[in-house]
Order: sequence, then structure tokens, then C-alpha cells
Amino acid sequence: MRYASADVRKRFFIEMFTRDISLEDCVLDLIDNSIDSYLLKHSISISQLIFGPDANGVGREMGNVDVTCSERQIKVVDTCGGIPRKRAIEDVFCFGHDEENQQAGKLGAYGIGMKRALFKIGNKFHIVSQTAKEGFDVSLKLDEWAKSKDWKIPITFIDGTGSETKAGTSITITELHEEVVLRIKEGGVPKNILDDAATTYPYFLGQCVQLRVDGVDVAPRPIPFGESDGVVRAAREKFEQNGVKVTLAASVAPGQRTTEQAGWYILCNGRVVVDANKNELTGWGAELASFQPKYRSFVGLASFESEDPLRLPWSTTKRDLNRESTVFIRARALMATMSKPILTFLNSQYPSEPTIEAADIRSAVESVREVSFREIASKPAAGFSYTPPKKREKKVEWVRFSASIASLDKVRRHLRRPALTASEIAKLTFEHFVKTECAD
Amino acid sequence: MSGTSSSYRVQYDLRPSKQVERRMIIDALHRLTAAGFPIANYQYTGFGAIYFVDFIMLHKLVGISKLLSLEIEKTLESRVRFNRPFSCVEIKMGPASSEIPNLSRDRRHMVWLDYDGVLHKDFLSDIQSALTILPAGSILLVTVDVEPPEPFDCQRVDPTFDGCKEVLGPKHWRRYFEEQAGGYLPLGLSDDDFAKSMLAVRTKEILKAAFTKSITARPDVEFLPMFNFLYRDSHSMLSMGGMIAEPAEERRMRGSTLDETVYYRDSFDSPPFEIIVPRLTRKERLYLDGEMPCADAWTPQQFNCDPDLVLRYREIYRFLPAFAEILL
Repeated sequence: MRYASADVRKRFFIEMFTRDISLEDCVLDLIDNSIDSYLLKHSISISQLIFGPDANGVGREMGNVDVTCSERQIKVVDTCGGIPRKRAIEDVFCFGHDEENQQAGKLGAYGIGMKRALFKIGNKFHIVSQTAKEGFDVSLKLDEWAKSKDWKIPITFIDGTGSETKAGTSITITELHEEVVLRIKEGGVPKNILDDAATTYPYFLGQCVQLRVDGVDVAPRPIPFGESDGVVRAAREKFEQNGVKVTLAASVAPGQRTTEQAGWYILCNGRVVVDANKNELTGWGAELASFQPKYRSFVGLASFESEDPLRLPWSTTKRDLNRESTVFIRARALMATMSKPILTFLNSQYPSEPTIEAADIRSAVESVREVSFREIASKPAAGFSYTPPKKREKKVEWVRFSASIASLDKVRRHLRRPALTASEIAKLTFEHFVKTECAD
Repeated sequence: MSGTSSSYRVQYDLRPSKQVERRMIIDALHRLTAAGFPIANYQYTGFGAIYFVDFIMLHKLVGISKLLSLEIEKTLESRVRFNRPFSCVEIKMGPASSEIPNLSRDRRHMVWLDYDGVLHKDFLSDIQSALTILPAGSILLVTVDVEPPEPFDCQRVDPTFDGCKEVLGPKHWRRYFEEQAGGYLPLGLSDDDFAKSMLAVRTKEILKAAFTKSITARPDVEFLPMFNFLYRDSHSMLSMGGMIAEPAEERRMRGSTLDETVYYRDSFDSPPFEIIVPRLTRKERLYLDGEMPCADAWTPQQFNCDPDLVLRYREIYRFLPAFAEILL
């Protein structure tokens, strides 16, 4: 038997594997690791964060994550607990998790995020990680490492911090690649990281970690839902399949909305993977109508949760979904079913002829109050519903008619008021008739 | 979809073929009840319009006491409410797409999407919604018109189409079907495949594909075909339906007596059951009834009658209504 070579080559990981992900998403991958450390250290479940009563992280000290970004270096420093030596030796620097380490994190599914980020950004990295009890230090120059066929990475053990609050990891990437320097010189990268983090981590920021980008605090951007008692009820569904818990909600959002904010948001273990999606991925332009500005109040959220992140439908960049995922296929069908009544409702705001019903719908859209995903998800499955207000009894009606100028002049002369307008005459004569001819 | 509700055009309670279909469905529900399906506890959701014929039959003959009628035509609202036959019939004004997601997940349903128009993408979307949310044991039935799309249907797909200058034909109908259900049609079809005589086949393919696509998203259940009727009162209509089933429901259905009936279809690949109502006088019918169920080759001695027609009659006589004038 002859064999063909099927070796793994470092060049693939260093030069090719890094092309499918943006610089900003690489930094978010590093932030994911910080958040994961915090979740592990405090044994926090994703359900607890999204749906639990302990929503504001009361009684826990939050971890700090500081991201700095310059043409010289990109650095992510956290106080989220640090990486134990055993994991550093056996798992952290491997490409892909083995079965034993599979369930180590909630946000790290594939075991490639950190390595890809390091390779993408620069030629040299330095990682120092300390738990309270122990620590390690890794420093590597990629061009030198790439020359050897050895896949090992030198590691030095250092002491722990001695304090739980100081325990954490620092990743510094220097000798940035030319294209990364160019992107940073162009400007906007820190702002992009800040914006992306704000929309990606609404369920972690302020609950688990305090994130700063170049010293600026990142405020979470929650996904707002609207309901109003007895008038507008959000759609909600849930199911569990293949170890993945899926919770879905859709409604109209409160307040003034822009088209950019509208659409479906998809969470995998609490992390927003797809935000404000309005394309075929979530049914728009396929099972649903194509998105139009009149649907700008639409908001939907699909949360996929699993103890085993590999079961979740996210792609390796955590910016897209695996459309062949059976759990996503089922969720997508439900998402379309939930969305349709909302689009019909939003459509009815603008009939060809203005009607009272349409005005009622517009007012219902404008007056929904903000409700949380947690609140909606706690209720039993149901579709979106709109209950129109009871028909108001009509109190007034327009009376319009034409009259000859001669007869109008006759009235003006009779009343000796030549300046009376036609409508004043109409009103006077009508009121006179009602008063003199109609009994109460 | 037609521009005006068919409630304005069709005397729904006087359509013999449709009534045969309804009675066969009732017969199937009785057989399912006998097999252990608690059909009387199901909720029935349909389009009762102003006649509510199906609602009356399902309440009186099957005992279903939770019924919901959906009506999209706002101008009919007062008449629909006035004609509501029982207090247990709830009426909701709005499209099926808005009401299907609100059907209770805690009870089983029978949903009859009895559309009065030619296939439209909204129908496929409603099928998807129903098969996505209805619990196992629920029955979904869909009826559509399989006549060629009308000029106004084609104009909606192709605004340049001028009904005064062009005669509608397979080319236009193909365009209509591709626009409404392109993703559900097999590849490689030509204009000839959209000839008038082929439209029922195309519609059946599309509905079958819609059932399959919609149920595939739920790995725990299957959609078991039960009904596939083709009939004609004024327009040719196609009905297809079945049950959302987990293995328990499937076993129960296989144990029922449905397969003893002429109308049961456990596969959409078999030809539909064609309801053909022979034109017979009252006297001829009474005579034939006296011989039913007849032997295969039997023909009446007293008058000429095509043997094939006799066989057709034998299939439906139990379900065929007798209409008479009542002077009120």
C-alpha cells in the first residue's frame, strides 16, 4: 500500500485560515475568551444571564476587559479569572478542542478563535495569564515558529496573582502585519470594535464584564421589544432539539426605529451572531416579503443555547449561521411563521385610503412599552396579536353641499351681515333649523 | 386569488361534489375516532364564509365543539357574524397567516385551508405556518382551484400583460406558477407542462413539495397523507391533506379502517380520488340506490347507463346529497 501525504502545514493556519475573518471580529474572538473565563470562574449559565432573575450581576464583581489598539500593538487585558496551566498546556494553543476539553467554554466552540486572531493581527504575541494560584507566560514570533516542523509552543510557568480579583489574562500582539497597520491607519478600527462589541454582547456587558476600548466604556445595546397590555402581544416560541434550547420572540420595537435596527437578532449562547438581519437567512424575501422601510419597527430574537457550543448553528467566525443546521432549519420555519402576522400588522398602517383602523394601528405601534426578552420568553408559546380598540361611536360628521351665490346673498341681506362666509351661513342656517324645528 | 370573495359568487351549500368531499372527510374523521383519535376534542379552523356548511357538519356529525372561522373579506363581516350557526363558532377577521400562529399548542387541530383561488404563494406560506406550529395528531387539509389563472392573476405577475390583446395560454400560466411557487417546481419544465390539463398535476406537485419542505424542519414528526380529492362543481378543485404524526399517531392511523375506503390516499404519488357525480334523475337515483352496493359488472336493466358511471356512483352514493326545494 502506498500513501499520499496529508500533513498539516503551519502556513495554512498562518496565511490562509486568517482570510475569512475581519480584524474587528478577531478582536471580538479574544474578548469572547475573556468572557468565557469569567463565566467558567463564576459558574454562570447562559440561561441565568438571559432569563434568570439574577439579571444584573448582583453580588458578583465584574471582570474588566481592556482593549487597546494602535499601529504598534493590539492588546486585550482582562481580570476575568485567568487560564489554568493545565488548559494552557493541553488545549489553549491546540487547533480545535479534543473531546475532553470540548465543553470548557460557552463562547469558544471550535478552538481556533484566539490562534486565528493572533496569526491574523501580527507576527509576535505575548500572553501572560494568571489565576489566583498559578500562571504562565508564552511569547512567540510566528515567522520563526513557522520555519520549524515542531507544533509545540514554549511556555514558562509563573506565579499566580494571589488574588481572585486580579486574576486574568493579557494578550499583546506586536509586529502587526502590514495590512493590519494599514487598516488601523485608515482610522475607525477602535470605533468599529466598540460598536460591534456593544451589539454583540448585550447580555454580558454590565452583567459579567466591563469592557473598554482605548479607555472608552462600551455600553451594551439591548434588543428592545414592545408590547402593550390588551393591545399588542409579542410572538414567542420555544423548543429543544439535539441538546440545543431555542427561544424565539418577535414583536414591534418601542420608540423611533431606523431600518438599520430592524430585523432578526440571533444569539448563540448569549452572543449576538447575526444582528438586525433582513435577508433570506431569516426568511426575508423568501418566506416573508422583502424588507421595506415600513417594517422598521419589526424586531425578532432567536436564542440558541447549549452546554456544548459545537451543537449551536454558528459559523467559525461567529458572524454567520450554518444554514444546514437542523436546529436552525426548524427555528427558521418558526421565525417565518412568527414574523408574518407582524408584517401584516405593520402593512396595515398604510392603506391606500386613510382609515380609522390604520390610525389605530399606527398609534398602537407608537405606544408599545418596552418589555424584555426575558419577560416575553417566560410566557407560553403564542403568536403575535393585535386587538384593535373598541369601535368609537362617531360623534361628528362633515356636512358638505353647494348653494347658489344668489341664495347665499339672500341670507346675507336678510341678516344684514354682508361679510358672512358661505360656511358660516351654512352653519347658522343648519343650527337655526335644528333649534327651531327639531324637538330634543 | 380572486378579486372578490367567492362568497358573493358561489352558492356553497349547493355543490354536490364539494358536499361529497365534505361527507367523505366526515367519514374519515369517524374512522379516526374509532381508531382512538379524540377528534371531537379537536379544534376546527376553516373559512366558514357566510354558509358555514363544514362547520355545521363537523359540529353536528363529529361533535367538534371548538370551531374557529377565519374571514379575510372585511365587507362580509356583518353577514359572517349574522350567519354564525352556533355559539361555539368563533369568528376572527383577518388572514390565516395572522391567526395560525395563535392556534393553541395544547390541543390538536383540524385546519382546512379551503382557498377559493388558484395557487398563490400566500397559500404555501400558510401551509408552512400550520405545519410548523400544529401539534402531532393535527390534521391539515388544503383546497385550491386548479383552473388556469385568470387575466388579473397573470397581470399581477407580468404587468405588461394585456388581456385585451393577448390570449392567455400555457406560457402565461407557467410564468404565474413560477412566480408563485418557483422553488417548489421540478427543474426542466416547459410551457407544455403548464397546459390547462396539466395544472392540477403541477398544483399537486407544488402542494406536496410544500408539505414536505414544511414538515422536514420538524425531525420528530411526519406528515402522513390521507386525502387527495379532485372534483368539479363549476371549477376544478384539488384538495390534499393529512396528519402531522409522531410514531404513536402513525401506528394508530395504520390501525384504522381508512384503508378500506375508496377515497383514502396514503401517498400523494397515487392519483387523486376523483369525485364524479353522475347526472341522474331522482327516479334513476332511487332505482340505483336500491341495487347498491352493486356487483362490478352490474348495469341497470330499465334504462341505459354507462357501466363506468355506475361504478362511479357506487363509490359516492353513500356520500351524495339530495337537494330539494323547500318552500319557506
